[in-house]
Amino acid sequence: MSARRRLHGWALSGVVTALLLLAGCTAGAYTDTVVPTPAPPASDGSTSTPTSAPTTQSPQCADPLASYAPTDALPAPGVMPAGSTMATIQSRGRLVVGVSGDSLLLGARNPITGRIEGFDIDLARQVSAAIFGDPDKIELRVITAAQRIPLLQSGEVDLVARNMTITCARWEQVAFSAEYYLSGQKVLVPLGSTATSLADLAGQRVCAPAGSTSLAKLADFPAVVPVSGTTHTDCLVKFQQGKVDAITGDDTVLAGLAAQDPYAEVVGAAFTQEPYGLAMSSAAVDLVRFVNGVLAQTIADGRWAASYARWLEPSLGPPPAPPTPVYGR
Amino acid sequence: MSAPTRPVAAPRSQRPAPPPPPGPADPGDQPVLARRSTPARMRAVAVALVLVGLLVAGGAALSFLGTDGSLARADANAAQLVRLQDIQTSLVRADADVTNAFLVGGLEPVEQRQDYDAAVATAVRQVTAAARAQQADGTVLADLATSIQDYTSTIELARSANRQALPLGAQYLKNASAGLRDQALPQLAALIGANERRVDAELSAATSVGTTVVVLALLGLLGLAVAMVWLARRTHRYVNLPLATATVVLTFFLVVAAVALASVSSTVGSVDRGSYATSRALAQARIAAFDAKANESLTLVARGSGAAFEEAWKASAATTTTQLGAVTSGASSSSGASSAWTQYTSLHEQIRAADDGGQWEGAVALAVSRSAGSANAAFTAFDEASSGALATSGADVAASLQGARSGLVPIAVGGALVGLLVAALAWRGIGRRIEEYR
Repeated sequence: MSARRRLHGWALSGVVTALLLLAGCTAGAYTDTVVPTPAPPASDGSTSTPTSAPTTQSPQCADPLASYAPTDALPAPGVMPAGSTMATIQSRGRLVVGVSGDSLLLGARNPITGRIEGFDIDLARQVSAAIFGDPDKIELRVITAAQRIPLLQSGEVDLVARNMTITCARWEQVAFSAEYYLSGQKVLVPLGSTATSLADLAGQRVCAPAGSTSLAKLADFPAVVPVSGTTHTDCLVKFQQGKVDAITGDDTVLAGLAAQDPYAEVVGAAFTQEPYGLAMSSAAVDLVRFVNGVLAQTIADGRWAASYARWLEPSLGPPPAPPTPVYGR
Repeated sequence: MSAPTRPVAAPRSQRPAPPPPPGPADPGDQPVLARRSTPARMRAVAVALVLVGLLVAGGAALSFLGTDGSLARADANAAQLVRLQDIQTSLVRADADVTNAFLVGGLEPVEQRQDYDAAVATAVRQVTAAARAQQADGTVLADLATSIQDYTSTIELARSANRQALPLGAQYLKNASAGLRDQALPQLAALIGANERRVDAELSAATSVGTTVVVLALLGLLGLAVAMVWLARRTHRYVNLPLATATVVLTFFLVVAAVALASVSSTVGSVDRGSYATSRALAQARIAAFDAKANESLTLVARGSGAAFEEAWKASAATTTTQLGAVTSGASSSSGASSAWTQYTSLHEQIRAADDGGQWEGAVALAVSRSAGSANAAFTAFDEASSGALATSGADVAASLQGARSGLVPIAVGGALVGLLVAALAWRGIGRRIEEYR
């Protein structure tokens, strides 16, 4: 009997094993879904548009602010001298200007009207008015900071009015008008903060656009934790989301940010000097002279002050004396 | 069948002598051993055949129930896949709506806002439904729900800034879109990948599990044949009716099982290459298309700085074109989607030409127009045609898989009964011969 029982045992265990194997093949429980470990932080798709002008001045020149003297009298609007750059622009029918689209107060799109407006834009319109007798004969192309010089060199834009700092290095690639505004790097902090400079922000996270000299300047303050944003506006988003404690950049740009957030303020004195100029092609010396003439007129007849009062005074205080043009190049 | 040798070796002294069998008188010691060993062997053969019958019964039941279960799970996983693709389509659709509306300015068109709201609501509901349907997806779906929450809240910040005419709104929008692509879309990709692998695994299980029963039935037939030959030699009766009946029944079942399994296998193959492949291609085409549409708007929102978005448009649009091409070669139902998509891409080229030519306002006007012949109208036509084709192919997948399941449970039950019947017949057939020794 025991042998038979053993036989039964083997057979039974065989059946059970076979059935268990079958059951195992068809079990319906799955391992948990997992997201693969993320690759290094992906780009958010937007190009980096540092709005702060680089201030690298490695190549030296006698006076970067010296531009070409204007002609004695400006030609009447609509009657540009034959063969001049202005005549070419006039025959095309519009002045093409490279501007910023998101620097509130300097150059930003008004979502309601769809128009780009600001202090820089006002100046560009004066140039259009001087050529055509109509400030609206103008095509505003929103460009990144990095596009400014290449587009001027390729002739795709006639003029750049985009908070661009005049430097010796840039003079080797493009030509500048006389200085039209003296800006400087400052810090933006939350309302009620006691900080008035980067030196007071030890241990705090300070944002500046990637690739900008504002960000590079943070290296002078090792106690500060630098954080890069794609643009200054991206820095403001981070500031509002509590991801950074302060923002640094040109006072004009920071004023535009402060104007969008009543809980932010621009404090302290400027710790760099950023003289802004309108940039043009190096070859278009006649256009530079013409623009300098327009600029001198605009300052002389109070339009410069009116534009400052409209855009910058609410944030940056009473108008400074307009910069004195320097010529002699 | 070699086991029955053991009882032969069992010494007589170990057990009391069996009662003398009726019939012929005891011819002596040697014949007694021979006489007693034959019924013992017969009993062992009977037990072995009963076990084979039980194995066939259990194997048939489990194989066919297993195949049925695999098909049911493949169907369920395919349905989960549809849900996940619906979530992804809804999210990229919401993003396309909100970015397009941003071009209009502070006041977005009511219908676009409604479409955004509906798309977000669909995504949120489907996340809950998907979490209920597949426990293994629960953790990633919880993370996905958080990502959707981040996205929608950032979009609301963008709206409120845009409503106040602040350039900040466009930045919030860009960050929300980027966050969607950095967080939610990789999570969805992982979920979709996992469920595609589950569908594939179940479909291949459905075609392989059933072969076990064929092997078992063949073994059973072999056992029956060996037993009948052995019995015929021992008893000099050529036909054992119960065993012959068992053989016939088992052969019949083997044929039925093989036909059923072949049918399942062919259905699975045609679903895999047909409607299921079409569904996947259409879903991928739609997801990439909505992604492209959002990038078209983001390019214009960036106003001159959007080169990276246009690159993203090109990549997504190429995916859509490729996937639609793969579908059209297999099915004609999506030809409407293909022609609408071609129309949209040419209208997109017009928008780009206007923007690149310095006519930003003109490009925006083209991009936000909803009148007949506009890019939005062509895209809507694509959306409707492709979603119709997707619904059709999705229903085909479910219908085919459910069709393949029909009859499997009865066959499982039938197989179990056949196995039990084989066991009973074998016991009875050999039992009769054993009786003759008593």
